[in-house]
Amino acid sequence: MICAWKELLSILPQRLRGQLAAWEDSLLELRLRLNRPVELVLSRESRWLPETVTQEDLSFCLNAASRYSPWSAATISQGYLTAPGGHRIGICGEAVVKDGTLAGIRTVHSLCIRVARDFPGLAKNILFRGQAMLILGAPGWGKTTILRDLTRKLAESSTVAVVDERQELFPPGFPTGKKMDILYGCPKPQGIETVLRTMGPDCIAADEITAPEDCQALIQAWGCGVRLIATAHAAGMNDFRRRCVYAPLRESHIFDTFLILHRDKSYHMEELYP
Amino acid sequence: MSYKWIGAIFILGSCGGFGISLAVHQKNEEKLLCQLRAILDEMLWELPFRLTPLPELVRHGAVGRKGILPEVLLELAEQLDRQVLPDALSCMNAAIQDPVPSFPRLHRLLLQLGHSLGRFDLSGQLSELTALREQCDEEIRELRLGRSDRLKSYRVLGLCAGAALVILLI
Repeated sequence: MICAWKELLSILPQRLRGQLAAWEDSLLELRLRLNRPVELVLSRESRWLPETVTQEDLSFCLNAASRYSPWSAATISQGYLTAPGGHRIGICGEAVVKDGTLAGIRTVHSLCIRVARDFPGLAKNILFRGQAMLILGAPGWGKTTILRDLTRKLAESSTVAVVDERQELFPPGFPTGKKMDILYGCPKPQGIETVLRTMGPDCIAADEITAPEDCQALIQAWGCGVRLIATAHAAGMNDFRRRCVYAPLRESHIFDTFLILHRDKSYHMEELYP
Repeated sequence: MSYKWIGAIFILGSCGGFGISLAVHQKNEEKLLCQLRAILDEMLWELPFRLTPLPELVRHGAVGRKGILPEVLLELAEQLDRQVLPDALSCMNAAIQDPVPSFPRLHRLLLQLGHSLGRFDLSGQLSELTALREQCDEEIRELRLGRSDRLKSYRVLGLCAGAALVILLI
């Protein structure tokens, strides 16, 4: 298992850094809420640190995660920020809304820091024989982790272009595949089109298909002789069929392989059009 | 008798030297402000083009330059990379080293730079840097205004003070 632990500690206030050492292997999330104790979410339980979170602590985390550069952390306006090491920080607080859309967070009240971990070899038993695979799972069930290892495995033998919009799939320090090209920080619709036109990939991978534009980009890329792998938020096939945002994907039948993850980190595969 | 004259020459020399050093100090401050202005210019070109993170942006300004200002900027970049202090102003305070406070205009501008860095989005940051550059221009203009007369008067005052001291003591 690989985890950018040093990077995680570097975005936390100094007084908390020393107290996390015992949970290096089991920490899944760290939740900081204003004027509340720090919550550590472990694999099976939650623990609480005695320290109370202050406004300065929350500001420090955001400053450190963005390397004191708010302009290079434009995703704050979408309510999250990817810290060095691929750790994702979810942000809640007093929102700033301009023209009906979220423009930023004025005062931060809570942070949810998800610890990024890489498990090389996790996908060694997954056989991808089709043309397009969709990995389904609820938040925290391991979609990104499986996608990371699967693309790495594929990139040993074929050219894989990864559109890593949130810089979570392959942050610095995580091993990449031999024949892998990664486009960091670009929105998926533009990113998929760009790598398709410029990198000559055998396969395109993208994490978290959540918007109609993402679906359209996949549909456009499909049929160009390029294989696709993506992940989507759905706790199973029924959820996938119910969610309106995925209607274009269902109707176009582009995905022939579904990898469905379970809460206990197991998974099963459904191949629809063998 | 000869000791008296040697002492008088020393007093005269040191007072004159003090006057000259004041003049040199002013010239140095002007040079440093010009250097700061050039660095601000570079930051203003670099930032919208590459959206460079702050530590790299600051380090970029220091590269290829010599003197106390690049040293301060390199130390600021180090402080930012260490991620121990809560904001850029605290990092700037920690980075400002000994000779800087003796240049009051430069010191003030550096503190303002520290205060403005990392607090705004791109357009806000660019506006702040532009405002700081204008202020820097203003300081340089003020220093240059009647510079030669002022520098001459520092030297003459030093020598006169020395001569007065010599007359009094002898």
